[in-house]
Amino acid sequence: MEQLNVLGLAIPALPLLAFLLITAITAKKKMLSAVLSISCIFASFLISVYLLILQLKAGHGASYEFSFPWLFLGDVKMSLGILINPLTTVMLIVVTTVSMLVQIYSIGYMKGDYAFSRFFSYISLFSFSMLGIVVANNLIQMYIFWELVGLCSYLLIGFWWFKPEAAEASKKAFIVTRFGDFGFLVGILILSYITGTFNFAEIQAQINAGLISPGLLTVIALLLFSGAVGKSAQFPLHVWLPDAMEGPTPVSALIHAATMVAAGVFMVARLFGIFSASPHAMLVIAYLGGFTAIFAATIALTQNDIKRVLAFSTLSQLGYMMLAMGIGGYTSGMFHLTTHAFFKALLFLGAGSVIHAVHTNDIQLMGGLHKKMPITSITFLIASLSIAGIFPLSGFWSKDEILVNIMESGHMGLYYVAAATAFLTAFYMFRLYLMTFTGKPRDAHAYEHAHESPLTMTVPLMILAVLSIVTGFAGIPGKEQSFYNFLFFGAHPHETHFNMGVALSSSAIAVSGIALALLMYAFGLIKPEAVKNASGPLYKLSYNKYYIDEIYMFFIKNGFFVIASAVKWFDRHVVDGAVNLVAFLCRWAGSKLRLTVNGGVQSYALIIFGGLVFIAAVFAVWNPDALKLLGGR
Amino acid sequence: MVETILFYGFAALILISALLMIIAPNIYHSALFLALCLFGVAGIYVVLNSYFLAGIQVLVYIGAVVVLALFVINLTRRILDVDSDQHNEQLLPAVIISGLTAFLIISAVLKTNWGTMIAHRVAQDNTALTGRLLLNEFVLPFEIVSVLLLAALIGAISIVAGDKGAQK
Amino acid sequence: MTITLAHYVVLSALLFAIGIIGILTRRNAIGILMSLELLFNAAAINMVAFSKYLTPSEIYGDIFTIFIIAIAAAESVLGLAIILAMFRKRETVNADEMNIMKY
Repeated sequence: MEQLNVLGLAIPALPLLAFLLITAITAKKKMLSAVLSISCIFASFLISVYLLILQLKAGHGASYEFSFPWLFLGDVKMSLGILINPLTTVMLIVVTTVSMLVQIYSIGYMKGDYAFSRFFSYISLFSFSMLGIVVANNLIQMYIFWELVGLCSYLLIGFWWFKPEAAEASKKAFIVTRFGDFGFLVGILILSYITGTFNFAEIQAQINAGLISPGLLTVIALLLFSGAVGKSAQFPLHVWLPDAMEGPTPVSALIHAATMVAAGVFMVARLFGIFSASPHAMLVIAYLGGFTAIFAATIALTQNDIKRVLAFSTLSQLGYMMLAMGIGGYTSGMFHLTTHAFFKALLFLGAGSVIHAVHTNDIQLMGGLHKKMPITSITFLIASLSIAGIFPLSGFWSKDEILVNIMESGHMGLYYVAAATAFLTAFYMFRLYLMTFTGKPRDAHAYEHAHESPLTMTVPLMILAVLSIVTGFAGIPGKEQSFYNFLFFGAHPHETHFNMGVALSSSAIAVSGIALALLMYAFGLIKPEAVKNASGPLYKLSYNKYYIDEIYMFFIKNGFFVIASAVKWFDRHVVDGAVNLVAFLCRWAGSKLRLTVNGGVQSYALIIFGGLVFIAAVFAVWNPDALKLLGGR
Repeated sequence: MVETILFYGFAALILISALLMIIAPNIYHSALFLALCLFGVAGIYVVLNSYFLAGIQVLVYIGAVVVLALFVINLTRRILDVDSDQHNEQLLPAVIISGLTAFLIISAVLKTNWGTMIAHRVAQDNTALTGRLLLNEFVLPFEIVSVLLLAALIGAISIVAGDKGAQK
Repeated sequence: MTITLAHYVVLSALLFAIGIIGILTRRNAIGILMSLELLFNAAAINMVAFSKYLTPSEIYGDIFTIFIIAIAAAESVLGLAIILAMFRKRETVNADEMNIMKY
């Protein structure tokens, strides 16, 4: 067991080491930095695989925990520690795999960037923070790393800080997630105040013993969930994620698609004991997730920026996961997180490859790129099929299981929402694919210069494509050694069975979505322009993202700024006034007192002697016995 | 009895000459009164049987310090100064402060039980003992003081001569 | 009437008080220095007197007085040198005219 301590700590520690080394030593040597960063994450990956194998051998019940005291604040004891259980190992594999592949990809993508080493140092720092969240065994440690990934996200979105949009987007991401994080922190503090501990297992034990009243537990669960809303960009705090696409594409793939935004879902899974103890909170999670899923999907229909389409798709899929969590589909939510991490990372990296080739994000200027970049095109197609949920790709298995779970939970409204989202997903993904890779080139110049990306970029694409296909087989329902028997909440695995009705209907929905896309964008049987005109205001609503940003700006301008200006007035005149008054009094007193500093030696001597004698006289009056020398009379 | 007469005589000499020294309008007279005052202190040392100390007092203080002061007075004398007021306007606070000082010390003296302490007459001359102590027990302070004097010497020369160099 | 230690202490206190008046009121810097000598002597009288009355067989008071005299000599040499240098620069030896280091 000793070795598990070391291994568990080494997983996050290695990327931290890479970050420190790159920052301190190898910043000037670009390739060395990249190799250092990748080899460290590769080592973490190998350890993660080893831990996964250990866990698979040990079975579900085995969890290993290790902690050491860190900080004592009065009665509050804070520990740092690691918790290795099936959830940890699954998430470790996802994070290290995607991080490693994205870093390899970045060698090609970031080639020639002026801050190549800095990019890798940030990515390493991010990997460290994200792995820190995953292995954390207590809330406070999770919160620390939670904020660290937020910082890394800020740094990496604003990586090209000289672009005003990137700088704005990084600030927006940081500030918007702060709203959620605040609730998260309050939730953590209330919870630890009641339970007297930060440790997951100890909190779980107290909840199981029924020591926390249900009402309070609901409040705590909702506060904790607000952290997940911010981080996983659920409605209404989703506005930062589309803007975050201003960062480099590998960053979008790693942070804003596969790992960090999934941290919210992971957190819900980690604290599932708290959430599942509160049915009201679960209902909120389910409905908010469902709403985000369909809400984001409708926006994705009309976007023209390749990365923004994928960003809204990510929002939608995260909503799906939250929905799964909310209706109690712990395993299916995590399974979808895993498969989504691979195919969404693949989509983003593919998009990055396209952007690398044509130097634009606008799909209206692309088209016909399949001939120029076949590997990118084929891998992108695999990912699109996977996210659309086509048999037998991974997305099919995970999405299907979520649908089955929803159906079994009896929330039929949510089932229809999820099904409609699946249809929209299939449609917008194929709209994206068809407009980008097929048809006639709409911008001849960009098309001329397009070329297949170098091997460092295409190899990760191919690996991810394979993962997008095969990951699903781990979760085939009913199989003895499946994902479902490995990772579950509670004492027994959730009974899984293959629901042919759901499978067929979801496949039909996916195929019809694809077919509609084909009709509109490949065969031209339905003119997109006609649909756009027919839908009228609906199209504008979707295209402008339901004006959410504008509504927020309206409230900020009319509410926040008014308060801010009042506060500013108060600060300027009352607070600063008090400070200035003190300063003025000092100046005034000084201007009077300085007259005593007349440069005359004897007047100084007079003051010194006078002061001395005065003090002696005061002593003598105060205590006449002080004057008795040699013991007195 | 002889001791009493000598003490009061020298005490009166010290205090009167000190008083005259600080009120003398002419700085030159002031220095001469200082010499007289220091001579009185030497007499007090004699009363206390410290003959060697009395000798040093006369030689070093009157012979060196006062003479040096007289030299400097001569070097810095200007015709203008003779008639100008030799005291500043701080006389009243100075008298109050010094009076208070004296009052505090004397009241402390009056409150103190001095008991039977009377001067123990050491008949033999203590010069030899002084010399032995200076070169044995107090050799380190003795050497340090000699270095201090050397430093003061060099410092005084450089202050006075350096100024000349700057004027060239 | 015998002379006790108190007599010497009172003598030294009066000499000290006179010295303070001199320091605070003499305009001439040389006068201030000479008044300082009075303070030294007041202290020296105390040293010798206490030594004689409290520890008659020891002569540490004498030794200290020798050091006081030596240091007073060094002090007055430097003080007078500074006054001389000052006089060359500013053409005055009056302490109240040397007041350029003021506000």
